[in-house]
Amino acid sequence: MPEDHRMDRFERTYQHRWRARHALLAILLCAGLLVVFEGGAIRHQGDTMNHGIGRTLVLAVGKPAGWLADQLPFQAAGRHLTNLVSPNQDLGDNGQGFDAADLTPGAAGSVPPVTPDAFAPASIGAAAPARVPLHTLLVTGDSMSTPLDDDIAELLAPKGVTVIRDPHIGTSISNTFILDWAREAQSQVKQHKPQAVVMFIGANEGFSMPDAAGAQVNCCSAEWASILATRERLMMNTYRQAGAARVYWLTLPAPRDPTRREVARVVNAADVVAAEPWQDDVDIINTVPVFTPGFVYRTAMPINGSETIVRESDGIHLNNAGAAYEAKLVVAQLEQNYTL
Amino acid sequence: MLFPTVQFGLFFPPVLVLSWVLMSRPRLWKPFIVVASYCFYAAADPLFCFLLAGVTLGNQAAALLMGRTDRAGVRKAIMITAVALDLLDLGVFKYYGFFAESVDKLASDFGLGLPIGLATIALPVGISFFTFQAISYTVDVYRREVPAGKTIDVAVYLSFFPHLVAGPIVRAREFLPQLEKPRDPNRVAVGPALMLIGMGLVKKVVIADYLGSHAVDPVFGAPAVYHGPDVLLSAYAYAAQIYCDFSGYTDIAIGLALLMGYVFPQNFDRPYSAKSLRDFWRRWHMTLSRFLRDFLYIPLGGNRGGRVRRYRNVVITMLLGGLWHGAAWTFVLWGGWHGIGLVVEDLFRGRVKIPTWLQRVLTFHVVLIGWILFRAQSLSLTGQWFARLAHWGGSPQNFGVATVVMILVVMIGQNLPERPLERMRQWIENLQPALLGAALALTIMLVGATVSSQGVAPFIYFRF
Repeated sequence: MPEDHRMDRFERTYQHRWRARHALLAILLCAGLLVVFEGGAIRHQGDTMNHGIGRTLVLAVGKPAGWLADQLPFQAAGRHLTNLVSPNQDLGDNGQGFDAADLTPGAAGSVPPVTPDAFAPASIGAAAPARVPLHTLLVTGDSMSTPLDDDIAELLAPKGVTVIRDPHIGTSISNTFILDWAREAQSQVKQHKPQAVVMFIGANEGFSMPDAAGAQVNCCSAEWASILATRERLMMNTYRQAGAARVYWLTLPAPRDPTRREVARVVNAADVVAAEPWQDDVDIINTVPVFTPGFVYRTAMPINGSETIVRESDGIHLNNAGAAYEAKLVVAQLEQNYTL
Repeated sequence: MLFPTVQFGLFFPPVLVLSWVLMSRPRLWKPFIVVASYCFYAAADPLFCFLLAGVTLGNQAAALLMGRTDRAGVRKAIMITAVALDLLDLGVFKYYGFFAESVDKLASDFGLGLPIGLATIALPVGISFFTFQAISYTVDVYRREVPAGKTIDVAVYLSFFPHLVAGPIVRAREFLPQLEKPRDPNRVAVGPALMLIGMGLVKKVVIADYLGSHAVDPVFGAPAVYHGPDVLLSAYAYAAQIYCDFSGYTDIAIGLALLMGYVFPQNFDRPYSAKSLRDFWRRWHMTLSRFLRDFLYIPLGGNRGGRVRRYRNVVITMLLGGLWHGAAWTFVLWGGWHGIGLVVEDLFRGRVKIPTWLQRVLTFHVVLIGWILFRAQSLSLTGQWFARLAHWGGSPQNFGVATVVMILVVMIGQNLPERPLERMRQWIENLQPALLGAALALTIMLVGATVSSQGVAPFIYFRF
């Protein structure tokens, strides 16, 4: 076991007579350089934070820092310098983001045509299409999608299904700074060409979004819900690959925090509306009756006759037991459409 | 608040400036640093501050009461009460869910229903670290190794933000004397501090996070999806990841404290160059090893009472050390593995002659098996992980050049001769502070550019 004799290990460095002012000089110089080169990133970081004192403080520094960085040529030089090591560059050429996509509603008075894809076969008494083998499944979303992705992979790997797990923790559809899900969906489809997609997202929603005119719309009015649903619809359309793939979109179980609960309620409503044009290809898997009947939060629920904790202590996510249970439900849903 | 974030980048420079401005006036500096540390802690959840304050005041009350009496029985009763309350606090926040679920499952298996309320309780960040420090303070006062400090000093000691959430576990006798008089502004280890911060960032953000997301998390999350080569690689990658993650955090913590004029004990010393498990525990999380030795192993009887009792004490210490890391059977198993390993090693000590290089290789691989138990999310996934080792049919998915290079750098780097590395470090540390500041800025930019859209992953030891 170690002895307590390492406290003097910096003694030799004191002979250089570096002083406190040297420490301050070094740190302030470092901070100054970061403001000049990365001021825009500080501002953007503030923009992506949830409302609160932390965001206010970061923006109080980030806005002037961003402005200063904008006026100087160093920011672009810094990006150029660090581009080589950035892991996010591969999204650069993958289609349009939400901002670029045409999300404006049709002209006033016009009615978008209803396509056959809007009808699930069961809803019109038609026979379900024959089940086909499933080879490639993409499980994606924000932190809600973990460890669900692992559990689905565990269940399907022995059946020969390649499960691609691509969670993006901390992201949301309403905030495009960290990740633009419109682009990400296109990138995922291009890269993996999944036959089916399981999407579980919504833990971080609630950011304001621009409407068609560019004005910011705050959560959680009907207008905000309509923008979110439009974005989700764009993603669903990408994932369904013109009917070549099925999408399984999970709604959010009620969170414990009342404020988050209200956001989740709106997100769930948007999910349903978003899927309307493609009910043949897009299944909404409603987690609410399973985990939070009546949209009332609960920590534990009976599983196999035993009361089991299914939520994390944050009151938002499913824990391992909850995710494992949800994975079985998702696989059961997949079995409706695929031979596994 | 994570160290490698914009928020901390905005928090630290003004705190450092004010800290040195106020340093010569302890009456102002101490309250200031307590407030700054509580603000740092409140970023996780303001409610946790009440817990920290409660632990501080509770242990300080016990220390003051012990200081007022010489009656051994009374002093002991006070110490036991304080430590019991600390452990109760740790038990409720950290182990209640584990205990309730385990008992409920056991009762269900026997067809019994027990009225145990199942609840998820948020784990306050760093609770294990500051609770252990509080225990060490109270016991050291009881043992008369340190006198009861001033309440404000104890508050600084327990809340000092560089070590608050993930250590190192600083002993009162190491820190309280540093508070007795203001730190000398003419003696600041600027070079080592900046070097440690830069290296810590690289270790954590570049190496640990990359290995975690590319080679460790996918495999340990669903071992059944992978074949032998990837499964094996994930173990080596995790060994490198956890070292870089935890020692990276510690490096940054020690560096920040140094810039403020304070010295923390060393926490890592090239652990993968250890020649035995005993040697490993002298090099890995050294402050925890020391804590377990002084507050668990020795009170249990230590080396006294013969070989059997000594081995029993080692195994109990390691089992509880495992449980300290988290409320899960995998951690208990990990502790048990090390406990049994230490016992077996002791049984064979001096009887078998093994070359040094082989000792290192063997020790590393015993530690490696332990890490598999440590990382697995459940016992069933542990079994799956080992079972998949036998499947060598499929093509490897995670064997990227960067992954392999990072693992090799971490493993080989710790086994290189120390002197040339030390010389290089000294050369860097001796550069002009302005140059080091600019180098740190460049390092942060490069490190920041490697962060994926998911941001910096939380430190592994935050949840302990």
